[in-house]
Amino acid sequence: MNVTATRTKLPPSQHQFADIIHRLEAGGSMLPDTPENLMQIIGLYKAYAVPMDFYWRDLLYIGEQVFLNPFPFFKYFISDEYMDRHNHYAGDDADLRIWRGQADAHPELREFMDKGELKMKLPRLAHHLWHDRINMEFAEECMRSMLWHRGMYVPVNQFDPFLDSDEYKANADRAIKAYFKGNPAMLALHKAFPELFLEQCRQSSYYANLGLFWEVMAPVFFEMSDLYDEGKMTSVPQAMDFLVNGIFAIAGRPIYHHVYIRGECYEIIPKSKGFTWLYEAALPYVEAVFYRTSPFRGTKSYNAQAGQVPADQKDFHFGVLYADKFPVGTAGIPPTLLAQDMLHFLPQYLVDYYREHCRGEDDMLIQLIISFQRSMYCVTSAVIQALRGALLYPLDDPNPNHLKANRAFFESQIDRFLRPEARIKDIQTPDYR
Amino acid sequence: MLSALIWLPAIGAALVGFLPGNISASRARVGAIAISGTLLLWTIYLLTQFNLSTPGLQMSEYLPWIPTLGLNYSLGVDGLSLPLVALSNLLTFLVIFSSDPQSPKSTPLKRPRLFYSLVLLISAGMAGALLAQNLLLFFLFYEVELIPFYLLISIWGSEKRDYAAIKFLLYTAVSGILILAAFLAMNWLTHASSFDYDAIATQGLSQRTQLILLTLMIVGFGIKIPLVPLHTWLPDAYVEASTPTAILLGGVLAKLGTYGLVRFCLGLFPETWSLVAPGLSIVAAVSVMYGALAAIAQKDIKRMVAYSSIGHMGYVLLGTIALTPLALVGAVSQMVSHGLILALLFYLVGIIESKVGTRDLDVLNGLLNPIRGLPMVSALLILAGMGSAGIPGMAGFISEFLVFQGSFSAFPLPTLLCVVGTALTAVYFVILLNRTCFGKLDTKTAYYPRVTWLEQLPALALTGLIIWLGVQPTWLVRWSESTTTAMASATSVYESRQLAMKPIGHLSQAFPSGVAE
Repeated sequence: MNVTATRTKLPPSQHQFADIIHRLEAGGSMLPDTPENLMQIIGLYKAYAVPMDFYWRDLLYIGEQVFLNPFPFFKYFISDEYMDRHNHYAGDDADLRIWRGQADAHPELREFMDKGELKMKLPRLAHHLWHDRINMEFAEECMRSMLWHRGMYVPVNQFDPFLDSDEYKANADRAIKAYFKGNPAMLALHKAFPELFLEQCRQSSYYANLGLFWEVMAPVFFEMSDLYDEGKMTSVPQAMDFLVNGIFAIAGRPIYHHVYIRGECYEIIPKSKGFTWLYEAALPYVEAVFYRTSPFRGTKSYNAQAGQVPADQKDFHFGVLYADKFPVGTAGIPPTLLAQDMLHFLPQYLVDYYREHCRGEDDMLIQLIISFQRSMYCVTSAVIQALRGALLYPLDDPNPNHLKANRAFFESQIDRFLRPEARIKDIQTPDYR
Repeated sequence: MLSALIWLPAIGAALVGFLPGNISASRARVGAIAISGTLLLWTIYLLTQFNLSTPGLQMSEYLPWIPTLGLNYSLGVDGLSLPLVALSNLLTFLVIFSSDPQSPKSTPLKRPRLFYSLVLLISAGMAGALLAQNLLLFFLFYEVELIPFYLLISIWGSEKRDYAAIKFLLYTAVSGILILAAFLAMNWLTHASSFDYDAIATQGLSQRTQLILLTLMIVGFGIKIPLVPLHTWLPDAYVEASTPTAILLGGVLAKLGTYGLVRFCLGLFPETWSLVAPGLSIVAAVSVMYGALAAIAQKDIKRMVAYSSIGHMGYVLLGTIALTPLALVGAVSQMVSHGLILALLFYLVGIIESKVGTRDLDVLNGLLNPIRGLPMVSALLILAGMGSAGIPGMAGFISEFLVFQGSFSAFPLPTLLCVVGTALTAVYFVILLNRTCFGKLDTKTAYYPRVTWLEQLPALALTGLIIWLGVQPTWLVRWSESTTTAMASATSVYESRQLAMKPIGHLSQAFPSGVAE
């Protein structure tokens, strides 16, 4: 209905990706609506959500408990308290119940943390040293990307400028002094270099920021997976709409940073600052991780002097929507770590699907990370649609000027994928796997 | 004992090829593997029975065949032929094992029965030529090789196979004619009772006659090796031939040329050989430099490997003309290590071609990618490139070093040029490896099938052998040491002459003065 209405009112777009623009205008996503795509993205949401259930717990644990520990050897060994911590969006006591499942750590996660890939119950340290564990390094890489690409979406995003305010510095200073109480060496260091621990504190605040962001996303993805399994989610636009609705439902969730030192809570960023999930966490996250990140070593090395790395951070384009996923499997690059995590929690239908394509078991790591890339195009579409909903007009608006404004918005968003590295063209076909 | 090496594959070839009934491809393959495997085991048994300290012929077999023609069935093995027989049988086994991997995604070998029987026939011919102690018998086996090779190129080759096969046939037929002419002349002019190797005594012939006969044979064998400028059949034949054929051509057939040089040119005309040596040293240096420089300019990795073969056979020539025991043992070792390394290179290039679908350096990229690339094949290709470039720790280094060490005193300048040639080998292999293995895969096209373990097995075996012979060189040189030492000392004439020549200072003057005698 609104599809035909929209199309009759505006002439076809002249954009290079006109098809995709039209699809967005019709309420679709950048990812074509096929059962194969739906299966891939939902399967990947599930595989992503389980490690994410650990990511957000550990990120909060590091931001709140480990804090400035100069030797954080055990920062990935979170306490039972954090494993049992109730997600605010799942379980019976949820603020807003998104997932119908439980509020504490996911059972598959618990089982994996106990036995790992080896399927053997060994001491945690043994699993850790054997790299048979959840790769928190990936989560930290995302956090660092948000920290490094500072000033995104300012002034809408007020979290980032706040980190430079006197109020933040005063709060942080209090916490730093409390944390190093009785440690004259560190206190002297803090006195001599006041920026040193302050910057660590900002990083810690971003740990909390990302942890709070993902606390929401994990139940969203679990619920989508369950809906798909129950046959209640049958198309890519439906999946995207679920995300859009989710984004609006939780947009106001407070973003804060509390630190617990010897049982006492220090509010470095109090909830009262009014920072919200959408503007202070979700949008900067998407910008930092999906679009920008930073060049990583795969089999391609970048030559900054030859202009292969942009001069301005805002022009960076190494994120998941652009990344070459074929080097996944190479040691030490963030997508490998993520793919490794997701490999452990793939639903059976995806395992069977991958077995039938390319090299089957042998290159499942790459097949799944490309499905992941598809699924992130769907998430980005949801963000674009949500922004359109928040800032512009409904898709079935009768006023042609409003529709033009919508189109201009969509085109400006898709312009970011005109770069040759963008994978938007690849994901339009099923052959990219 | 030795006859089995000839007749087992010959009968096997007949069985696989002509046994009536409908034999499936896999059954023919199993049969051929069984025959060549037995052959390989028999070779290993012969190696254990071989007396390392005897320089002369061992395990001789003699049967008069057509006495009126002087043709006798006379076989024997010494330190020169034994390593080559072993090499030939090893490569035959690997070729048969790998030519039809029967993995789900690979294209099946067409006309498998004919293919296996031809390969077995080549093995028989090769063993016959290497073991024959009668010139005519040698010639018969030498010519027998032509037909299966021609068919292998023209049936299983790639696009321009007909052209390449005819070119190969013409060149090698000329090579055969020249050698036959030389053998016949030798027999008639010396009035020998038969064509038996020990019945021919060329000492009585005039220097000029000897020179003509020797030249005929050098050109004849030079085509087979091949030496520049007789090499133009090689790039086409090697490139158009399928991988198994290329392995046999480069690893086995080319060795017949160098074997002929040592056995017949050096063995029958030691004095005259030492006269032409300075001229041949230039040919050796030119071959090495030409092969290396031409390889650098190639865009096709198989052609690159083919040109590298021309360069590397130059080292063998250099080793055979220096006439020091060290250089000669180096030459025999180089034949073996070149055979192994070239076979490995062709094998890996063949896998890359079959999986990626191209040999073009401008298209290939990023094969070291751990999941979507061909990581093991790339890693072995790097090792093979290092082996070919003479990096210590691998067989290529041992043999090249022996050749250079042994020939430097005789021909300093050509030796130095050959050393430069090994450096150039490193240059083109770095180009090859950099383009094919490093870089990144194209996400649009790089959906290559995996390489199975069975497909990797021959390459792993060859690599293991190359490294083993590189760290335990005794196993490479022990077989031929006493024979080559005896051969080099038989040409002591040369050494004394060269000592006398030294004050004159110019090696090229040795040539006219030698003729004047």
